[in-house]
Amino acid sequence: MKFSNPLPNRPRCLSLLMAVSIVTVFLPLRLQATVDDALSFAYEAALPYYKQGFSIRKDAWGGDLGVREKKAVSSQLFKGNDYWFLMATDLKGASLSVHLYDDKGNLVDAESWQKGRFAGARVSPKSTGTFFAIVQILKSPEDRTPWALVYGYK
Amino acid sequence: MLHGKSLRGEGIFSGFSMKQISLLTLLVSVSGVSALLADMPPKKIALSDFPAAAVQDVVVPVPSEIFTVLDKLGNPNWKSQLRDGKAQTPEDRARTALLLGNVIAEGFVAVEAEDSERVKELGRQVLTLAEAINVRKSVIARSKSITDKADQRDWKGVRAEFDGALQDVRGAMQELNDQDLSQLVSLGGWLRGTEVLTSIVQSGFSRDGAELLHQPELVNYFDRSIGSMGSRLRKNPLVSEIRDVLRKIGPIVNEGGEDISIDQVKIIHDLTHGVNQQVVNGAN
Repeated sequence: MKFSNPLPNRPRCLSLLMAVSIVTVFLPLRLQATVDDALSFAYEAALPYYKQGFSIRKDAWGGDLGVREKKAVSSQLFKGNDYWFLMATDLKGASLSVHLYDDKGNLVDAESWQKGRFAGARVSPKSTGTFFAIVQILKSPEDRTPWALVYGYK
Repeated sequence: MLHGKSLRGEGIFSGFSMKQISLLTLLVSVSGVSALLADMPPKKIALSDFPAAAVQDVVVPVPSEIFTVLDKLGNPNWKSQLRDGKAQTPEDRARTALLLGNVIAEGFVAVEAEDSERVKELGRQVLTLAEAINVRKSVIARSKSITDKADQRDWKGVRAEFDGALQDVRGAMQELNDQDLSQLVSLGGWLRGTEVLTSIVQSGFSRDGAELLHQPELVNYFDRSIGSMGSRLRKNPLVSEIRDVLRKIGPIVNEGGEDISIDQVKIIHDLTHGVNQQVVNGAN
């Protein structure tokens, strides 16, 4: 799931939605809401870097993952820029991680940190090309954990 | 401050004896630092372990990500890169979306050239084109800010506004479920940005400059995006031609970045220049 708008509109016509079953409608709405919340937390994690002069992209990635499940997020990065990737969930008690790899699968984190529901990794690419942010839920009180990832550059 | 302790991507326990490690393991198990240990990333992974469903698509870089690098590479003659004239608003929505992206990218060139009048004119064009595809409201404030900041010669601020305009327009289109047109806005910006980048790299060829063209996944992504568009858009002659161009550029940028030659840079330039002419002026 990739979304450009940090807070996409909820479906406006609730009466129409209610005509569909609770099972098929309520769960996606709930998931969307929590991914939006996760995104708010990701932006919160990005705030210190914004203050350091990083431009934070509005475009973001997000979804939900099970514990220990990983996802690769591909990104075009340019040599000469410095990047921070910031990941978060709104789920209390969950912890997650993000690390960066080049297109050969080599770890390229210049630094990284992990603190509960927040995590971050920085890279100064040695070459221009495709890179992968590997996101993972380390632990969670729920089966599925919503997450969001943003990045900034300078 | 949200940060935890900064972790290096290598084994942080390599200097410890077995006894120390045992003690540390015991401490870890009772002190809640286990999450920290769990986050020991492998130095190498097999990307083939990630099936397509476990890989999320690339996010298209905004122009300023590339222009920030170009700033560091030298001081090219940006004025010579500026395009003359004002494009008419097309009736074809696909071309309008492509042109909108093109004009936003042109805004970056005008910023680099520090041409405030041109910047303001492009800011107005953004508004006109956005109106033609029903997302005017999303960029009214941006357009005004572009004008204000150009008057103040706040170039960094103008850049941020053009970046913001691109993202706001795309966001508004996605809210209207116009994902395909949203992709065309990005593609239009990328095409103009690539045309300018290749022109600059040619005029003062350097490997660092040419390496900026190493964007294989991005080119594939645009190709796939067109492939997944509705048939009417996919069969639009201009969109179809752009897809052909992407398929010609793909193998060139797929090589190692440092291996892109000046001849290949020229090929990419000619290809992007050709389709951008059509984006601005309509079919030949």
